[in-house]
Amino acid sequence: MNRLIALIRREYWENKGAFRTTPLVIGGIYIAFLLMSIFTTAHFDNEMYTFKEVIRMLAQQPVEFRALHGHEVMLGSSLFFTVVLAFVVFFYLLGALYDDRKDRSILFWKSLPASDTLTIASKLLAAMVLAPLMFWVVFVLTQILMAAIASVMVLSVGENPWTLFLSVVNPLKAWAMLLVSYLAASIWFLPMYSWLLLVSSFAPRIPLLFAILPPVVFAILQIWITFLETFTLNTSLFGLVGDWVANSPAILTAQVHDGQGTLALGVPSTGVFDHAVTLANILDRLFSLQMLAGLGVSAVFLAGALWLRHRATES
Amino acid sequence: MTPIISARGLTKKYGRTLAVDHIDLDIPPGRIVGLIGPNGAGKTSALKAILGLATFDGELTVLGKNPSRDRAALMEDVCFIADVAVLPRWIRVWQLIDVTEKLHSGFSRETCMEYLAQTKITMDQRVKQLSKGMVAQLHLALVMAIDVKLLVLDEPTLGLDILYRKQFYSSLLNDYFDEQRTIVITTHQVEEVEHILTDLIFIQDGKIALQSTMEEVELRYVELMVHSEMAEEARKLNPLYERELFGRHIFLYENVERERLAELGEIHTPSVADLFVATMKRGDA
Repeated sequence: MNRLIALIRREYWENKGAFRTTPLVIGGIYIAFLLMSIFTTAHFDNEMYTFKEVIRMLAQQPVEFRALHGHEVMLGSSLFFTVVLAFVVFFYLLGALYDDRKDRSILFWKSLPASDTLTIASKLLAAMVLAPLMFWVVFVLTQILMAAIASVMVLSVGENPWTLFLSVVNPLKAWAMLLVSYLAASIWFLPMYSWLLLVSSFAPRIPLLFAILPPVVFAILQIWITFLETFTLNTSLFGLVGDWVANSPAILTAQVHDGQGTLALGVPSTGVFDHAVTLANILDRLFSLQMLAGLGVSAVFLAGALWLRHRATES
Repeated sequence: MTPIISARGLTKKYGRTLAVDHIDLDIPPGRIVGLIGPNGAGKTSALKAILGLATFDGELTVLGKNPSRDRAALMEDVCFIADVAVLPRWIRVWQLIDVTEKLHSGFSRETCMEYLAQTKITMDQRVKQLSKGMVAQLHLALVMAIDVKLLVLDEPTLGLDILYRKQFYSSLLNDYFDEQRTIVITTHQVEEVEHILTDLIFIQDGKIALQSTMEEVELRYVELMVHSEMAEEARKLNPLYERELFGRHIFLYENVERERLAELGEIHTPSVADLFVATMKRGDA
């Protein structure tokens, strides 16, 4: 266990830029945009008249309305973090078992008593837990800072931020939901993560090419063969991967739900799962047949990555 | 005494090329073994098999373990420098020490710091900021601070200046080495290690060309230096190798009576480098 933690810490050191600096920069952008909009308002709004009106109108809305929309706004503002996190994890995994082969530092790492299994586990956990956790923590800190700035703004026009939104919206609910969806998405996307590790362990060079080209070629062949056989354009790997993203437990889009626009899990273009953002719907995905099949595929990819890692110092 | 490394028919193939060709080998504890061979002789392939970095055919046990299968467990008791400049370039010195300490139960931070104190390396530097020689110093400091039964050094001093090389070999012999430990060294700078070696293994074309202790070398081999008029006489005694230096002829003999040779000219023990050249020439013939 201590060894695993030491290895995960190693991953953090190596990828500080991606895991820590990146979310901090996004948080900084959020704060900068908030301040910019405040200054813009202050610049054009005569004596903050319009701003006061908006706050007053907001204060007159029923508590439930404010609670619901506050929650949605908080959760919805995670989207940019989520998308960047996906890119960070993608490129991290692509390099995870490749970079040390390229610079030959694998010879040093293999001189330490840490098994290949433990090494791959540390890299997988860094992608599945450490990276989302870092992004989540910075996201929460950003929201706290933004709420503080907004409160000062509201106070400055003589309204009470506490009754307006601070006491109304429960931030823990939104934060917990985001964290759960991040971790659930880590499990959901395990087949993709495992594929990236396999490629990372295999690619003699340009892992990006090896990660993308074979699935694309396979999918095109699939479409072509189906077309020849049935004269229709039907299922393919593109469709499978697309559906996988659409069915994912990550909060990615919005949908009209019960006559109201709300956030949605994945992309509500498929009917297999309910896309409303609830814990039950997230668990529904994790305990589905698709997930089970995905875990099976992951196991094969990871075994391949491990086998290649064992032989990485062969020549 | 059970050998630290024991190989029977150890073979390594790359495609159809035999890099290591059915080697039998026993290295007992408490030895400093020089593994010497020309480029491409199979030294690194053999070492990789021993260190669990490559698969192999034949039998091979290191400290009672199969290196290919039990590398992680084996690394508790084995340490190696497989190549110069393989430390990760992004890492900071303190991080490297930290991760080694966490992963290796036999690592002593104090010892490592003592070795580092003799260098210009500082804790907060990244490996990529260090010169080639400093990277080698850092790696050696790490390795010497780990308490293991077998230390394998593949060209450990490449890129180091002569002062540090001397210092390194002297601390390797005086501070590090004891009768519990075994050290295997490969190097091209044979002259620098020959006085610390206890055993000699020459590898040529994937086979062992010579395996002997240094004492045996002194008993078995003798070098004779004669004036040219005596050369014909000396040649009759079946020398392994002959060379010329400043008009004098130098012959290398195996198992020839010293008294007989002494009548012809000056005799002394050959250097490892000369013995190596002679052995390789014989192997080529």
